[in-house]
Amino acid sequence: MAAVTDSTLNRAGGLSLNTRLLIAASVVLAAFLGLTGLTLDGAFRESALVAVREQLKVQIYSLLAAAELDDSEKLAIPKRLPEVRLDTPGSGLYAQVNDAAGDVVWRSRSMLGLSLPFAAIYRTGEPAFHELENSEGSRFFAMGLGVVWEASPQKRSGYTFYVAESTEPFNALVGGFRRSLWAWLLGAALVLLGVQGFIWRWGLAPLRRVALEVAEIEAGRRHELSSAYPKELRLLTESLNTFLRNRSAHLERYRNALADLAHSLKTPLAVIRGAVEERERGEGFQETLQEQVERINKAVDYQLQRAAASGRTVFAVPVAVAPLVHKLRQSFAKVYAGKALRFDFSLDSRTVFHGDESDLLEVLGNLLDNACKWARREVALRVKVDGEQPGLVLEVEDDGPGIPENLYTLISQRGVRGDQTVAGHGIGLAVVREIVEQVYGGTLEFGRAERGGALVRVRL
Amino acid sequence: MRLLLVEDERALSDQVAERLRVEGYAVDIARDGQEALYMGGEFPIDAALVDLGLPKLSGIDVIRRWRAAGRTFPILILTARGRWQEKVEGLDTGADDYLVKPFQFEELLARLQALIRRSKGWATPFLECGPVALHTASQSVQVNGVPVELTAFEYKVLEYLMLHAGEVISKSELSDHIYEEESDRDSNVLEVLVARLRRKLDPDRVLQPIETLRGRGYRFNLEPSGRTLA
Repeated sequence: MAAVTDSTLNRAGGLSLNTRLLIAASVVLAAFLGLTGLTLDGAFRESALVAVREQLKVQIYSLLAAAELDDSEKLAIPKRLPEVRLDTPGSGLYAQVNDAAGDVVWRSRSMLGLSLPFAAIYRTGEPAFHELENSEGSRFFAMGLGVVWEASPQKRSGYTFYVAESTEPFNALVGGFRRSLWAWLLGAALVLLGVQGFIWRWGLAPLRRVALEVAEIEAGRRHELSSAYPKELRLLTESLNTFLRNRSAHLERYRNALADLAHSLKTPLAVIRGAVEERERGEGFQETLQEQVERINKAVDYQLQRAAASGRTVFAVPVAVAPLVHKLRQSFAKVYAGKALRFDFSLDSRTVFHGDESDLLEVLGNLLDNACKWARREVALRVKVDGEQPGLVLEVEDDGPGIPENLYTLISQRGVRGDQTVAGHGIGLAVVREIVEQVYGGTLEFGRAERGGALVRVRL
Repeated sequence: MRLLLVEDERALSDQVAERLRVEGYAVDIARDGQEALYMGGEFPIDAALVDLGLPKLSGIDVIRRWRAAGRTFPILILTARGRWQEKVEGLDTGADDYLVKPFQFEELLARLQALIRRSKGWATPFLECGPVALHTASQSVQVNGVPVELTAFEYKVLEYLMLHAGEVISKSELSDHIYEEESDRDSNVLEVLVARLRRKLDPDRVLQPIETLRGRGYRFNLEPSGRTLA
């Protein structure tokens, strides 16, 4: 496993998780708070405007209430008005009354030196509201109401009452609200981002720890990942641990096989060297050579096949057993064509093996080969699922002479090297034992078959 | 019998070929997959010995393509790796038997003889046609229980004719299966061999085991026993 640098990781996988989360959260927050801000701002402005209109309406009606006809049947407005601002020049609140001809009949004192371009005559009934701008560029909210004054049924005269208010206080109010609204929203966004950041750090901490521990494993300071991970990650970390254990077991097997191989090669080589040196005196040189070559051959076969076993695979798809058994059956029918054996194989076609295909082939191949070698007419294979567990039970039977009971323990003994195996069984059983017991942690048993021959039962 | 030995290791192939020739086989040698594919497709061979680890084209591929092209001669795999996966793959592809290197020559010979016999439909290593009995393992011949001394070439001719007892074998077919590709052939030699065989097997001219069909070839005319349907 080569060390991958951060830059290549970024290029291969795009942005880091932190950056992704930060960008996503910022966009969502900005959209949410922005819309909230705009809505609140609009709503506030609307309600402030309604308030202004109400106020102007109150002013216009109170002015109407104060107005009366004087003796010459002309409209008169008292000098003292209940609203002080109308009496104060430049107060921001202004009033004016025009007659039916459009001439100014009355102006509030606050309008001193100011002219407002009020629109023409207004309808009677509901006061009309609008905005206007005078020649100096100041803006005003204005309201006008047309009234008909009836001195007597014959004498009616029309007037228009106007009230106007500068927009400045309104603008100041809305602006103030807007500033404090956005200040609050920005503050809230920052706080939320901070809290989010903390949550990510806390939530992603296990991932960072995995990365850290993997780096430590690569550096050789650690053998496997610790077990305290949240359940979403546990499948990953446990698989990784199994993988690491398999790898180190595999390495260990290679190392052992090499050491054993060296050991089991050195002895016959020493014998051959001795025989060569004593050739002049010694008898049976050729037999010695042949014997030792055979020994070397067995040692090489056994150790290499032992080391080749893969063991249980973590990320691999389970192996379907039926096609393998079918192939084996065809193969043995060919190889033992001269014996015309009957094969009695039984298994469920859906049976799967959680391990390496070539390991299973190796176990079955060796057991069936022995069975075919010793069988008189019949070889049987039964593949069963081991209860609730994921393991398999393989039973191989023949109708040959069977294995003498005193050999059971010898065959099952651990540490019996390939060149010391039981005569007539080659290295096959030793390899099977190695794969079943050492690599898969299974069991290997021998017994007598109902057919009379040998029965070998393997749990994998 | 004519064999194709496919093996890229020169020392081993020469050694094995030499011993097979001593045993009376005609042996052609292919040193890589391409060559093997061609020779197995073109030559009238009776069996092939194929090493699985070959340059250019793997042994498995060679076997697969032979079988796909309808070649039915028996194939014996020679493999260095003893894992069952490889053996089963080879047998599944179309090979008939396997041998793991290093092998003993006697083992190779026994497997080979059994394969050839079975491919011609004989179940036992004894070929018996009437009073003539031929033992492939010891390459010995008896007539009415009396051993007959044959030269290597005479034995080759008799074995081929008896394996195909009842069939007409042309001279060219006979020489194809007895001589290697590069050897000089002379049909007169074949006629001399057949004549000598007749004299040795049937000095009194009562059995008439080998019939000559003018312009067509020879036929071994004694009824075989112990032959199964191929």
